[in-house]
Amino acid sequence: MAQQIPLHFAVDPLQTFETYWAGPNAEAAEAARRSARGEGDTLLYLWGDTGLGKTHLVNAACREAFHNGRSAACLPLALIGECGPAVLEGMENQNLVCLDDIDTIAGRDDWERQLFGLFNAMRDAGNTLLITATAPPAELPVALPDLKTRLAWGLVLRLHPLTDEHKLAALERRAGMLGLDLSPRVGRFLLSHCRRDMASLQALLEELDHASLAAKRRLTVPFIKGYLEDIA
Amino acid sequence: MSVLWSHCISKLEGELPPQQFNTWIRPLQAVEDGGELRLLAPNRFVLDWVKQHFIGKIEEVVSEQNRDSAPNVVLEIGSRAAEAAQMRSANPPRKTAPARKQVPNNLNSAFIFGNFVEGKSNQLAKAASLQVAQNVGRAYNPLFIYGGVGLGKTHLMHAIGNEILRGNPAANIVYLHSERFVSDMVKALQHNAINAFKEFYRTVDALLIDDIQFFAGKERSQEEFFHTFNTLLENKHQVVLTCDRYPKEIKGLEERLKSRFGWGLPVAIEPPDLETRVAILMSKAQQSGIDLSPEVAFFIGKRIRSNIRELEGALRRVIANAQFTGRPITLEFAKEALRDLIALQDRMINVENIQKTVSEYFKIRQADLLSNKRTRSLTRPRQIAMALSKELTSHSLPEIGQMFGGRDHTTVLHACRKVQELKESDARFMEDFSNLLRILSN
Repeated sequence: MAQQIPLHFAVDPLQTFETYWAGPNAEAAEAARRSARGEGDTLLYLWGDTGLGKTHLVNAACREAFHNGRSAACLPLALIGECGPAVLEGMENQNLVCLDDIDTIAGRDDWERQLFGLFNAMRDAGNTLLITATAPPAELPVALPDLKTRLAWGLVLRLHPLTDEHKLAALERRAGMLGLDLSPRVGRFLLSHCRRDMASLQALLEELDHASLAAKRRLTVPFIKGYLEDIA
Repeated sequence: MSVLWSHCISKLEGELPPQQFNTWIRPLQAVEDGGELRLLAPNRFVLDWVKQHFIGKIEEVVSEQNRDSAPNVVLEIGSRAAEAAQMRSANPPRKTAPARKQVPNNLNSAFIFGNFVEGKSNQLAKAASLQVAQNVGRAYNPLFIYGGVGLGKTHLMHAIGNEILRGNPAANIVYLHSERFVSDMVKALQHNAINAFKEFYRTVDALLIDDIQFFAGKERSQEEFFHTFNTLLENKHQVVLTCDRYPKEIKGLEERLKSRFGWGLPVAIEPPDLETRVAILMSKAQQSGIDLSPEVAFFIGKRIRSNIRELEGALRRVIANAQFTGRPITLEFAKEALRDLIALQDRMINVENIQKTVSEYFKIRQADLLSNKRTRSLTRPRQIAMALSKELTSHSLPEIGQMFGGRDHTTVLHACRKVQELKESDARFMEDFSNLLRILSN
């Protein structure tokens, strides 16, 4: 079995709704788009396992909001959680605030208080909150009941895992965007021999793109095997 | 939106990873001021981060866009909304009544008495609120509405404010959350504006403060509020407060405040019964222009019983799904749309879990609950546990009997009837039952 693939730190392509492979999550993507534009629910809570594209949706929503004349901010709480809740101050004045990975701060009293304040202020101002988590509101270890019930107030949608067919189609489209020719055989090989969540698969695809370009070879199963052995 | 900044944004967006861009650059709000491009950051944290990591890049992009006369880039904390509000209060339009009319009352005009669904659980609170709105400062002062989260306290509070305004559009009403009162006071202290702060709150016609349990442990705020409160009451101005519990039970609140909160009328809001939940769903659906059948409303109302927010969330889910798929809202459709929510509930509420919770609540052993012992201290909890199992799970009477030490289904039926009877006749029993229901469904 292949070892964990090192993350590739190239600049990601723009994460937009157009590049999001919705598959079984078309409703969630559409809800995020509408909320971002200020047309849908003012509280949208998306939950599901990691690797289903929650962060992609959040970034796409920020962009969508901006192109509709709305101010927006994204707060990736897993990354900035250590900064302390003061990072939420003043955010109520943004038309759209995305709180990515809210589970990482659930149960932390200072964060919950600040979030509760933000929630009320945004509601008063008629602005939109888009929240993502790995669990539904009822299963989040939120200690403040006032906050917990408010999380369940909005539109709560679950993101479902992609089937292999969806993943294959998503990879093919992504490869197409990179100008890479991905045969179904190669796609299936990736699915059965590598980490199967979409984020890892896409990162791997980008690495393979670079590697095949550097080696001036087409993307074939033997080439990929060789590459995986080299980096293992 | 500044055109210059709009160009810069497109440029920066292509050069930075989306997450960094959306966290630090996207929230900056631009104002072009002659030779300056002022970028407003939401808080100190964002400001510092941008200064440390991106300011060079931003300046570079700005001067690329505007080679001849690139404006100075200035970073500040603020927002366009806050600046606009400041402008309004600094230059009040002429011919309007007193300057203080400019202060927003924060009332949400959607919360009115007309769309507050009344039921047994909230009748008294609604009647008292209406009284207060129609006899400002004279009916009950303060009106103290208390109850669990998501039961409609805030709705009533806004409804009072909106109703007062309907009768007297010139009335000075301020609604705010207690945390906002605290943070405004802290700001006033920092800016040496505490006198203006006091003056402001002590001269309103009606002060509506939500969730005052958040005053707990904040002594300076309590002190300030105490004086504001007294002044308002002395001048027969209305005070309305909401809280998640009865005044005497708020920990970390000064005794004198607790006792004063009880001076007027403390009224409770209880969790809504099934009929009220159904009525709430029908009313909400109607407001959204959706025709909801009673069958579907009963289905949702039966499954979601903890609080109104969750009820509204469930309805929202069904409506959104129907709009997305274009399918009519039938019972089958609703079941499908709420599948995740229901599966989750079933995981959290099952007969074993109910037995465990009831045993812990009455401090008895779970084994005794299932035993043949027939002492009063065991039969009541056993009956409650059976009735809760019937109410909260989809198990049949024989199944429940089986899970309670192999009892007959008629025993379970008897327990359900007995519990219903006691709920109506014994207040103490009713309280135990409601407590258990709340513990189990939250």
